[in-house]
Amino acid sequence: MTAIDVQNLTKRYGDDVYAVDDVSFQVREGEVFGFLGPNGAGKSTTIDVLMDYVRPTAGSASVLGYDAQASAPEVHDRVGILPDGYSLYDRLTGREHVEFANDLKGADEDPDALLDRVGILDAADRTAGGYSKGMTQRLALAMALVGDPEVLVLDEPSSGLDPEGIRDLRTIARDHAADGGTVFFSSHVLSQVEAVCDRVGILDDGRLVTVDTIDGLRDAVGTGATVTVTVDAPPRDLAVDDVPGLVDVTVTDDAVVGTCVEPTAKLVFIDRVRDAGCTVLDVGIDDPSLEELFAAYTHRDVGATRREVEA
Amino acid sequence: MSWRVIARREYRDAVHSSLVWGVVALVAAMVAVTSLVPLVVPQFDGDVLSGLGAATEFAAMLVPVVALVAAYLAIAGERESGSIRVLLGLEPRRGTVVLGKFVGRAAVVAVGLTVGFALAAVPTAIAYGGLPVVAFAGIVALTCALGVAFVGLAVGISAAAATRGRAMTLGIGAYLALALLWDLVPQGAHLVAEGAAPAGSVPGWFVLLQGLSPSGAYSALVQAAVHATEPSYPGIAGAVAGSPPTYLHWTVFVAVLALWTALPLLAGYVTFSRSDLG
Repeated sequence: MTAIDVQNLTKRYGDDVYAVDDVSFQVREGEVFGFLGPNGAGKSTTIDVLMDYVRPTAGSASVLGYDAQASAPEVHDRVGILPDGYSLYDRLTGREHVEFANDLKGADEDPDALLDRVGILDAADRTAGGYSKGMTQRLALAMALVGDPEVLVLDEPSSGLDPEGIRDLRTIARDHAADGGTVFFSSHVLSQVEAVCDRVGILDDGRLVTVDTIDGLRDAVGTGATVTVTVDAPPRDLAVDDVPGLVDVTVTDDAVVGTCVEPTAKLVFIDRVRDAGCTVLDVGIDDPSLEELFAAYTHRDVGATRREVEA
Repeated sequence: MSWRVIARREYRDAVHSSLVWGVVALVAAMVAVTSLVPLVVPQFDGDVLSGLGAATEFAAMLVPVVALVAAYLAIAGERESGSIRVLLGLEPRRGTVVLGKFVGRAAVVAVGLTVGFALAAVPTAIAYGGLPVVAFAGIVALTCALGVAFVGLAVGISAAAATRGRAMTLGIGAYLALALLWDLVPQGAHLVAEGAAPAGSVPGWFVLLQGLSPSGAYSALVQAAVHATEPSYPGIAGAVAGSPPTYLHWTVFVAVLALWTALPLLAGYVTFSRSDLG
């Protein structure tokens, strides 16, 4: 079943500022879906529509079959939200925050167990006004988990978290999905999405550029892995033209470098270099980084090139 | 009952923030001092009811300030800080949020006013050698009603305003118009209709116009309450020449106060429920 269904969603501010422009995608139940894009791409606006904080100009969004606007209470009964750009109540303690969420959601969660799960049980009796950014984020995550929601919506959840906090966050997201829940994970940091998400949607400038698995994204971009074979002497008669998936081979005094667009080409390439009469001293494999993938989709780094082409 | 949860949090937050104690101290001092004025001013006959009357005249101006300050940030403040995103994440019904905010802040103001009046009753009773309990209780209840009306107005403003600044501007505007400048309306109307400022007795419509603001309705109701317990004091229509028109009835002014509570709240809710929380 579809957990989140966004159809031709458009949110326009004023006459011509499109925060989100005709975006459509589905998130399946039980998956961790990464929602990726640079700041200002429209991720939060999409989430704001899902949570009925803002109303769409056109199109619709629904969660577990409930329209986000017409049936907001039903949606909220099933969704836990860690919003972006929020703040908590300075004068309430951590425990009181969870109790407040319990009362509003009609849930009966043990506040201490939940605070322990997000790692701030020792600060349960301190007021949130004295919390660090990371502790605040952990408390907000605990509030999102109140009532064991079917769908967890996390908007930039790793902001303010230290590496340990990010690891805890990933564990919580994966556990949630393992229990059959759905996680909608929005971030501008690609490595965090890569680490937890089954599929990723990339948003750029209000438009959805692609939806795919991480592996699928790699394939689609088609930038192969760069294999650098360090040798003791240049190979004399290297025969690689027939290796499928191997391109752009260059030979220098102490190394042979090739680009493997097929994973199987790597070992064959190394074997051929050894067969060519040199001793292999080292092998380095450089997978295309996801940052490059991201850049390829959002045109952040290649903007200059593109302008040249257009000119 | 989510509105109760929100109201309870509002109330507890106000107690924690010592806002409610500020209200208590201010009101206690104000009532105690103004109720003693007739004792020290030689022209008045030092009667406890005229002392309480003086206190209510001051309350008609002070209570709106107290209520507006206590409630103008109820929703606009949360919108500016971003905690509204957490709150609406837990309770998306905006009407429930507005209702909970109103009930919570109204309780803060009502409790503050009641305790403040109760504290002020002690020096007043000592100075006059007694206190008319029924009239005093009526005055406290009416003062609470005035406070609640302005909380309704302030929460309505707060719901409609996107920012702190706008809420403050609207709040100050509402105070100036309704608590300070309203009296100019009947005065001006009298000048236009009769060609002169009112002197001595006034027409019935003049009294009605005076009582159409929350503070005006409050003053009229205080007059009615005091008159009910002590007939020698003039009632609502005391200044009207001849037989007073039927519309100068206390229920009309109760309705005025109720409308000033509900209508701004409703208008604020409608605006809030349609707005984008970007």
